[in-house]
Parts: sequence; structure tokens; C-alpha cells
Amino acid sequence: MTAHAHSDHHSHGALQMGHHHVSSSQQFLSVLVALLVLTGITVGASRIDFGSANMLIAMAIACIKASLVIAFFMHVKWDTAINKIVFLSSFLFLALLFLFTLVDLTTRRWDSYVNTIRTPVDHGWVQPAPKPDAHH
Amino acid sequence: MSHDGHHSVVIPAPGPEFVPHTVAHHFDTPVQEFQAAKLGFWLFLATEILLFGGLFAAYFYYHETYAETFRVGGQQLDWQLGAVNTTVLLLSSWTMAMGVRSAQTSQKGKTLLFLGLTVLGALIFLGIKYVEYSAKNQHGLIVFSHLFDGYDQANKQLPWFQDYGGVMKDVPHGHLFFAIYLTMTAIHGLHVVIGAGLIIWVMKGAAKGRFHAGYFLPVDLVGLYWHLVDLIWIFLFPLLYLVP
Repeated sequence: MTAHAHSDHHSHGALQMGHHHVSSSQQFLSVLVALLVLTGITVGASRIDFGSANMLIAMAIACIKASLVIAFFMHVKWDTAINKIVFLSSFLFLALLFLFTLVDLTTRRWDSYVNTIRTPVDHGWVQPAPKPDAHH
Repeated sequence: MSHDGHHSVVIPAPGPEFVPHTVAHHFDTPVQEFQAAKLGFWLFLATEILLFGGLFAAYFYYHETYAETFRVGGQQLDWQLGAVNTTVLLLSSWTMAMGVRSAQTSQKGKTLLFLGLTVLGALIFLGIKYVEYSAKNQHGLIVFSHLFDGYDQANKQLPWFQDYGGVMKDVPHGHLFFAIYLTMTAIHGLHVVIGAGLIIWVMKGAAKGRFHAGYFLPVDLVGLYWHLVDLIWIFLFPLLYLVP
């Protein structure tokens, strides 16, 4: 069986699931420490008022943390190309969803009282026509 | 090999405490079995990203529209409990990674230990979540307890709208923050429950010695699911508890 398997096209996996990269305990521990430190930085950064940059900072740190989890804990760094494409493409489609949501958000005229009731006259953009009874 | 349809490929056990793995008959090789299952699971995880992605899109949309509502809403949550839960999930993600590694290196005792610690992390997370939900329910910020109340004829309203309480009454569309908070954390919590159940399931297999260097596929896949739960929470924590 073994001799046959070695001549087989799939020989390297005949008796096992194939060769797998096994991460070291030290690497997992380093990733954990990095994740905990970044959590602390997230909390710390939220205490300081950076205005609208607070959201960007929080999301940037979260993206770094997510990348660490995906690359090392989920082992994507050593996964096959097809698995990388399948999983990471979901983030591409997520980006499309966010992009078009953002486009809607920034171009929509809100149906609030202010925007729907005020006319160009209210805005002072045009002068109202003089009333006909002014001649009497 | 298995091409004749009569024999299945068997991966031998690396030691007396393990059992051999028989490759499913519709696969030619263990590699094929492993890669097929793994590809299918990554596809599933991609759909999970899109499921939560829709909720995150809703969050960002309303956060930009009613910033004040989200700021006040975030202040109602206990960020310290959120931070503790974040730490618990990160630690459990680490124990899960170590559990998979122990299975990959045929260390049965360590596999069971690390998987058990991961379940413990899931239980602590759910316990803290229960404490949080109870407090929010008491303050009238969560309206699930009124979900099955009848239509209020006198007020011509469903009870869960009029009972909506606390400081959120004073901000525009105050229900939005806690509706999104509850939807996102409850669906995430459901994943924690399912994940813990799956880990207990692979622990049963690990106790029987089914997982070793030659075959650790179920541990690997359940591990990926658990890391996804962690991945989602990494974004939920700053967005809900520290509302930027």
C-alpha cells in the first residue's frame, strides 16, 4: 500500500491529510498579547476627543486586530490560494455594500421638516412676486 | 486506493490512545477530503461576514444620521463589562488556536484542556451578557419582555413603543441605538451559544481519540467558527460600547 501510494499522484496525502503548517505556541502567545494591547489602545483612544477621527482610529485598530486573528488564529496566512480568495472576497463585497450605502448617505436629501417644507422663497434664494392688490 | 469503490482510505492512529480515521468513501484521498471540507467551510464563513456586514452597514448609516442618539446610547452601556468580555473572547480565541494546535500535534490531554477552557470562556461571556441584558431590560432599554403583549387599544400603540424608557426618550429616534445593539449582540450571542455547542461536540470526539496529527479536520473547522465569533466582537466592542 505504501509503495503504491508513493507512486500515486496524490502520494503525499495517502496516509495523512497532507502537510500542514503548525504554528508555534510562542507565535500564538505573541498574537494574543498584541490583541490585548490593541484592545487597551482602543479604550484609551476613545477617551480622547479627536472629533470625527475617533471613528477612523477605532476602525483602524479593529482592522489590525481582525487581520491578526484572520492571518494567525484562523491560519489564513498558510491556507491555500482558493481558500484565501473565497474568504477575503467576502470583504470585497462588504466594501461594495458600504460604498453604495455611503453614496446614498451623502447624497440623500433628508425628508426632515426643514428640507421638505422650506421653499426657495423661504431660503431667500428668490423674491416673491409682488401682490396684485398693491396697485389699488 | 478507493477507486474500486470497495476499500476506503484509512489514516492510522498515531498511538494507542487514538483511533484511526476512515476517509469518507466519496473522497479519493485524505487531502481531497480535507480541502473539500475546508473550502466549503470558508464559503460558509464568507456568508457569515455578509450577514453581519449588513448589520454593520445599518449601524454606520444610522450612526451618521443620528450621531447624538448613538452617543447617548453608547453611554448607557457599561464599557468595562464590554472590555472584560472582549478580553474573555480574545483569550478564548487563543485557547481555541492552542486546542487546534494540540490536536495537530497529537496531544490528546492538551486538546481537551484547551477546548474546555474555550467553552469556559464562552460561558463567562454569556454570563456577563446576561447581566448586561437584565440591567438594560430593567431600565426599559430592551423591550423584549413586552414582545408578546397585546395591542394597547387605549393608547393605539404596541406596548413596546410606549414603554420605551430612560434617557433614550429624549433623543431623536432613541429606539434605534438599542434596536441595533440588541440585534447585533443577540445574533452574535447566538453564534457564541452555537460555537460552544460545537466545541463540546468536538471535545466528545477528542475524548474518544478521534483527532490527531493524521486527522484534525472537525477541530480545525470549529476553531475557524470560533475565531469568526471573536472577529465580529472585535468590531462590536468599539462601535457599541465606546461609540466613536
